[in-house]
Amino acid sequence: MTPDALFQLTGPLAMLGWLALALSPLAPRVADAVAALAIPTLLSVAYVALILVHWSDAPGGFGSLAEAMALFTDPAVALAGWVHYLAFDLFVGAWIVRTAKTERIPHLLILPCLALTFLFGPAGFLAFTALRATYAARARMTVAAA
Amino acid sequence: MTFALATPRALPDLRRMWADAPGFTGLALLLILALVPLYAAMVLDARIFQGESPWQKPVKFHVALGIYMATLAFFARYLPEPIRASGSWRIFAAAVMLAVLGEVGWLSAAAMQNTASHFNTEIPAFIAVYPIMGVLAVLLTSASLVMGIAIWRNPGTGLDPALRLSIALGLILTFGATVIVAGYLSANEGHFVGASTRQMALMGWSRDAGDLRVAHFLATHALHTLPLVGLLAIQLSPARATLTVMLAAAGYATLIAGTFVQALNGQPFLPFLG
Repeated sequence: MTPDALFQLTGPLAMLGWLALALSPLAPRVADAVAALAIPTLLSVAYVALILVHWSDAPGGFGSLAEAMALFTDPAVALAGWVHYLAFDLFVGAWIVRTAKTERIPHLLILPCLALTFLFGPAGFLAFTALRATYAARARMTVAAA
Repeated sequence: MTFALATPRALPDLRRMWADAPGFTGLALLLILALVPLYAAMVLDARIFQGESPWQKPVKFHVALGIYMATLAFFARYLPEPIRASGSWRIFAAAVMLAVLGEVGWLSAAAMQNTASHFNTEIPAFIAVYPIMGVLAVLLTSASLVMGIAIWRNPGTGLDPALRLSIALGLILTFGATVIVAGYLSANEGHFVGASTRQMALMGWSRDAGDLRVAHFLATHALHTLPLVGLLAIQLSPARATLTVMLAAAGYATLIAGTFVQALNGQPFLPFLG
């Protein structure tokens, strides 16, 4: 299987996970099983296989920005990096949904955080962390007032 | 529990493996689970090593060592309880598990680089670790010797004496024959004796040259074959079960020796097979 063919497969697979998260209030346990376990596991298998096959011939390394950039000139290693984003972003998305549920943060407020995590990973995490801090502050102040 | 094994109607309780040998049981499961990424790597890898995917060998060893660990975990119920609970057994079992992990790690490292694990003559690091891998291989095989002797000397297994003998002999023969055959094999230049052009399906054994892996396979599976003979013997001819087991052990050892000599002479095992 070529890196291009695999790339074509991984995108829709990750999308399926994000769709499950967006619709998670309908079936929270199914959504969590799909987005936190099934799809990240599949993507991780693909990642590990790509690294097993292509790492020994890969250029570059982790020592400098130039080396890290050289690493991504290899299509298979760049694909592995892409799959890494997809798997871990989705996993963080699932964690956001789960955390929001236990902390009673409305799902509607979570949706923009999920969109941000999907597109710009850490930006979504940052947005959710801010939202969470806001809810925690509100809860503390409400208790103090009461 | 032991009564269950002597009665064909009831299957032995496999869950006991987790209590009797948690490390071996868990490692067996992990070795088999690791087949998922290994097969995925095989699908993605277009490289060819000696006529097949470089991942063929790690896959074979994961299956073989997974079966080996699971078998030892199963037989661990026949060890005396004081041995199973002892610190020295735990340390030994941990060393065996580390040896298994060392072997499979080394095989996958070689597959990643599309190079030879055994018989590597090109990459210094692989040449350097080869003797260490030999020591680890003997260490992991020695688990069957230790368990075989301990079960031999354990009067409290609750097993029919002939069945207990067959398990002990199978474990001990696995160690003795494997160390001889695999020891010679690893000191050889490769597993074929002569030039092999055709191989059997599945096992990959040569059909037109000697193949030392045949005797290695038979030797390593003594721990399955002899207990199965013992199980049959106590059902079919309980009066002569011990004699049957002893004859079977002698016969099986002869078969291993025969296939070993056959391969050394450059003759294929069963050329009409495959």
